[in-house]
Amino acid sequence: MLNYLIRRTLLMIPTLLGITLVVFIVMAAAPGGITAQSLVDGMELEPESRRALEDYYNKLYGLDQPAPVQYLRWLNNISPIGFEREPDGTLGTFSLWKGADLGTSFRYGRPVMDLLAERLPITLLLNLISIPLIYAIAISIGVQAARQRGGRFDVASNIFLLGLWSVPSMLAGVLFIGFFASEQYWRWFPTGGLMQRETVDQTFLPLFANGSDLLIAVACVVTVTVLLIGAATSAPKIARQCGGFTIGALLGYTMAWDLGGHWLGGLHVLLAASLGLLTSLLAGMQHPGFRIALAGAIGLGGGLTLSRYLGVEVMQGGYLLDRLWHLVLPIIALSYGGLAFLAKLTRSSLLENLAADYARTARAKGVDEETVLWRHVFRNSFLPLITVSATLLPSLLAGSVIVESIFSIDGMGKLAVEAVQTRDRELVLSVTLISGLLTLFGYLLADIAYAIVDPRVSYD
Amino acid sequence: MTELSADTDMKQPSQPWTTQVAVSLLGRTSARIGLSWIGLLVIIATFSPFLASSHPLYLVVDGQASSPLLQHMTALDWVWLTGLPMILVIALLPLPLWKKFLSAMVGLGLTAMIAYTVVSPPALVIYEQYRELESTGKVETIILAPIPYSAKDYLRDYADTGIESPLLTSEQRTHWMGTDENGADVASRMIHASRIALGIGFIATGIALVIGTIIGGLMGYFSGIVDIIGMRLVEIFEAIPTLFLLLSFVAFFGRSIYMMMVIIGITAWSGYARYVRAEFLKLRQQDFVQAAVACGLPLRSILFRHMLPNGLAPLLVATSFGVASAILAEATLSFLGLGLIDDPSWGQLLNQAVQSSTFNWWLAVFPGGAIFLTVFSYNLLGESLRDAVDPHTNRSKRA
Repeated sequence: MLNYLIRRTLLMIPTLLGITLVVFIVMAAAPGGITAQSLVDGMELEPESRRALEDYYNKLYGLDQPAPVQYLRWLNNISPIGFEREPDGTLGTFSLWKGADLGTSFRYGRPVMDLLAERLPITLLLNLISIPLIYAIAISIGVQAARQRGGRFDVASNIFLLGLWSVPSMLAGVLFIGFFASEQYWRWFPTGGLMQRETVDQTFLPLFANGSDLLIAVACVVTVTVLLIGAATSAPKIARQCGGFTIGALLGYTMAWDLGGHWLGGLHVLLAASLGLLTSLLAGMQHPGFRIALAGAIGLGGGLTLSRYLGVEVMQGGYLLDRLWHLVLPIIALSYGGLAFLAKLTRSSLLENLAADYARTARAKGVDEETVLWRHVFRNSFLPLITVSATLLPSLLAGSVIVESIFSIDGMGKLAVEAVQTRDRELVLSVTLISGLLTLFGYLLADIAYAIVDPRVSYD
Repeated sequence: MTELSADTDMKQPSQPWTTQVAVSLLGRTSARIGLSWIGLLVIIATFSPFLASSHPLYLVVDGQASSPLLQHMTALDWVWLTGLPMILVIALLPLPLWKKFLSAMVGLGLTAMIAYTVVSPPALVIYEQYRELESTGKVETIILAPIPYSAKDYLRDYADTGIESPLLTSEQRTHWMGTDENGADVASRMIHASRIALGIGFIATGIALVIGTIIGGLMGYFSGIVDIIGMRLVEIFEAIPTLFLLLSFVAFFGRSIYMMMVIIGITAWSGYARYVRAEFLKLRQQDFVQAAVACGLPLRSILFRHMLPNGLAPLLVATSFGVASAILAEATLSFLGLGLIDDPSWGQLLNQAVQSSTFNWWLAVFPGGAIFLTVFSYNLLGESLRDAVDPHTNRSKRA
């Protein structure tokens, strides 16, 4: 295994070189290319100082040299083993531990390393929240669809998931911002960024005015949630649907009231009816897990609203809630596409295994369907999901470019867009290098996970 | 008699594989929905100058009749208008598939050459002149297009143009889908943008398909060292997030529509190469390929006449999904502000929905809905195609 790991890690190096070479060639072959003149262009300078600045850039980045030399120079800078670079731009002695230097950004004038250290954790945070969420929801939908093959849920979810997969994430992001974050409609969520500035000085958890308020809030949330979950699990279908319709209609009415301020109008009826139908449909689902999750979410929101009406005062929202509040929309916009894809994959992979001989054998010897599904079939169906996890990370990285631009989150995706727009060579190369590295690392992790889960696979 | 009829029943001539797939495909509701939306889009794209244009179809001024619309038709308009019937006719001719494809390509090329040499519309376009003529009362008869605004008609003769919501306009103008931030009619821009979406989808995927098939075919046929080097290349292109590569290509190479097609094609070939390689690895040991090799046929004949038709099924499915992702790629680039500058594009319209401090819902819902419907249609088509070419689903259906 160790052998294999070392070999794979070494194989990453030529691929990474290839990646940076492709991007470097693109930039070098572009009409005009990148020269000191193009960097200085647009600045209003005296001729002498312009020449001095050009000389400075030439010395710093080697822009007056031929393109292959520039590439080798960049390679020498980023590799930890190589020639040391003297302050005047010439090569020094050969050293084994000179440390990697990603260079200085043209536009920001700061070391690229610092910029990446600032931006990368934010993108990783978005992706690391999305991945488990995607897997959890996708698997539960896929299992449910496969279980009722050809049934109503299966057909409906199949069309719905294909539709969801086709929604461009910029459309979703724009609609989210437009309807749920702008002043004109419902201002439930912040329009952008990852935090409100004032929460930096606040406590981590929400701070209540006094202890009794906290008690009331907790009591409200707990009672409403417990009541709703209880109803969702044990009430008969008709009652659940009626209850769901009432809750949805109430929500729709409140939304319309928020918007117009009138007591009754066409919009009120429309929103109340459509939301009511939606929730009654969801409440009528056969799978108790979905109903519990739905009831829990509604209960949480309802309880908080109720405690608000009962006069609970919150002194400070706190850092945690603020962060979560900012993350809701970006995370949804980032994860729904992968979720749809993965749910479809789960379904087809499960169906394939449910028809397999070993599943029939298990049923024939009297194992009940639940055990067949979870202990026999599911474990085998998980293998393609692991393979896909390798391609999930690159697609999420690409998705975060769009999502970060829409929600103005200062992550690596936004940095990439800014870097290519300003032709910031060092930044473009470094961002490509890092994202390529992350992608290859994802492939490696997936392969290792594959070997751990499937005893038939071994890399020795 | 009964014997004979039973006999003929049994000996019913088996249909070619392409016909079987086509019949099975057309029997599926989802494929029909997808195909009809794409068909509608093709019609809209072809006749877009007649659907939305500031130039009147027919105009009589001072007793002189003219058709400014026909005078202002560009070469590209003529290529679309003649190309569509030509392709339809060629598709109905009883020819083998590759000959149909070849003749369509040659026909399109010829039409483009003729159109670009013969047609020369006036370089300076003044959209306002017709409205001025009309307001001064010089016009005797005028027939306008259903949407009387061109995509690049920014309505400069009205002083108050800017972002306007649908149908909420002065009595002189009606904009069914509102206007964008430059004052151009959104419905008109969307109609003209459908060409870009369709063109990008087909041509970019075509380029990716050609590159992927050649590289993947060589990898699968030769295997060994060619395969190892080719796989590294595929891995490189897969490990760079495509969007980053697209962004850098577009940012450094300028923004013409043809450049974008080429760029999206270049970045999307790796998936096709994988599919073709896997098929060819399976096929290369089979008898008919060995026979072709033994006959001393040239390499291109072995690869493309003998092996490729047998490995076409997974490629077809991947192509349909590929068109969807190419359209999405163009929309994303335009959305991020790296698309075409003045030409209409759905992604660019979508971008304007939140650019200003207010949210303009019509700039999100209509162009976004068009992108969604098109991508959804291609995905529906790909999904039904996958079921249609998959022998497993047909068997289970019959059983």
